[in-house]
Amino acid sequence: MESTQNQKFCIEAEILDNALVMIAVLGDKGRVISWNHAAETITGYSPEAVIGSNAVWKDLYPDRDYRKSVTQKIADILKTKNSFENLETVIRTRSGDSRTILWNTKTIPEGGQTRTIAVGMDVTAERETKAFRDSIIDNAYVLIAVLGQKGTIRVWNKAAEVITGYSHDEVIGRREVWKKLYPDAEYRRSITQKISKIISEQKYFENLETTILTKNRDKRIISWNTRQVSAGSVYHEIAIGRDITEQRKAEVALVAYMTEMSMRLKQPVGIISNTLLESAQLMKEGMLTPDEIITVLEGQARNATQIEANIQEFQTAIVEQNGSIPEIFRKFLEG
Amino acid sequence: MPDIIDPTELEQKKIFLILASPGTIRQRNIDVIKEVSNLGYHTVVITTNFPYTVLTKLYAQNGVSPDSVSFIDAVTRNSIGGVENIPGVVRYINNPANLTDMGIAVTEVLKDHSGKKICIMYDSVSTMLIYLSSANISKFIHFVTNKLRLMDISGVFLAVEKGLDPMLMTQLTTFVDTVVDTG
Repeated sequence: MESTQNQKFCIEAEILDNALVMIAVLGDKGRVISWNHAAETITGYSPEAVIGSNAVWKDLYPDRDYRKSVTQKIADILKTKNSFENLETVIRTRSGDSRTILWNTKTIPEGGQTRTIAVGMDVTAERETKAFRDSIIDNAYVLIAVLGQKGTIRVWNKAAEVITGYSHDEVIGRREVWKKLYPDAEYRRSITQKISKIISEQKYFENLETTILTKNRDKRIISWNTRQVSAGSVYHEIAIGRDITEQRKAEVALVAYMTEMSMRLKQPVGIISNTLLESAQLMKEGMLTPDEIITVLEGQARNATQIEANIQEFQTAIVEQNGSIPEIFRKFLEG
Repeated sequence: MPDIIDPTELEQKKIFLILASPGTIRQRNIDVIKEVSNLGYHTVVITTNFPYTVLTKLYAQNGVSPDSVSFIDAVTRNSIGGVENIPGVVRYINNPANLTDMGIAVTEVLKDHSGKKICIMYDSVSTMLIYLSSANISKFIHFVTNKLRLMDISGVFLAVEKGLDPMLMTQLTTFVDTVVDTG
């Protein structure tokens, strides 16, 4: 019977020792009673170095203020219950690295004394991955918003803050921002209908252009793309918005400029042509004096010179408006 | 060819925009002058393409009395140089782009002919596009049409059809009372 009991303890001890999470059994004042292999691997401190004392906690939390804040947090939790869950702290390992540990504890009585089993999961890699992902989202030059059910905002990156003027804290967990971005009820309704129609047909939309009103009361044109992603049984919409206001302004300006220039080039050339033909006819009929012929011809030459100057002005404007023109064409257009 | 200018509207001091094809715009100029002169009006022609002497000959050839027309000539002085204004007949300005001089000339010519039934004809909006942006042309025509209305004088603007961009065309349409497309 005793042998079976010992065998059971041995198996349990081996399981604890080989577990992939840090397991420490603590006595009063945090004195370490047991320290498994994973705890040694993660922290760099061997069981021999830590068991029997609580000094390891000072080594793991060398910054006094941080240690104090962790201790306070634990004390606060233990005031109301005898364990805590998912408490995240950052430890300093023996080699000087930082590791993020997610702690869960359980207090058990043993032989009239209280023992705390602290289980620490090394979530450093996950946290780094998340931080990296968040950093990508935050530093993207496009507005990224992740929407939960009924349009509740779950993610709102820095570009979203810059473009709309609404901060992360103002919008997260809420959905009122859409009313602020689309204050005109009729326009908001038309956009909602359009989105609903597209979503019902294909679950996502591409390059949907809307005009938002920012917190600073500016109007910005946003081109939206969305994707639906699942997180377990829950679906989220990722909305990516590109601010195309300047692009649209430039396009409108270019169209206006091209229209103006085509009006100021095509028509005048026709006028010169007709004036010369009419003048030739009048000359044939002997109706023009030499002075009048000179005046007409010089006048049309001046018109042609002015048209040439207008074309040069047009070419210069094209170069100034478009930075992506290849160098060889740029030089030609600049004359 | 039916009348281009409605005599009743002319009597009401309306302002007209006459559109013509590039090949017929000169003939429309002559047609309008003929009609307006026959109705007893003195016409002040602002010419930006042909010298006034040539237009005078063309009008005479079409039976228009030289006494019924005077000119603001924006062509000749640029070529011939030191030509002098002839009171009651012609005022020269240096070039079509000088809107200040043109505005002053319009005011003075109207003063010269005060007491007469006057019509101003601007030939043409299209030629002005060589020298001025549509925005400046629009401003100038707005200025001229306002002046004509204040002085209770009718006016005619000639332009090549389909040659004006929709924006300028819309603006001109709001400044004038009647648009006549003569094709």
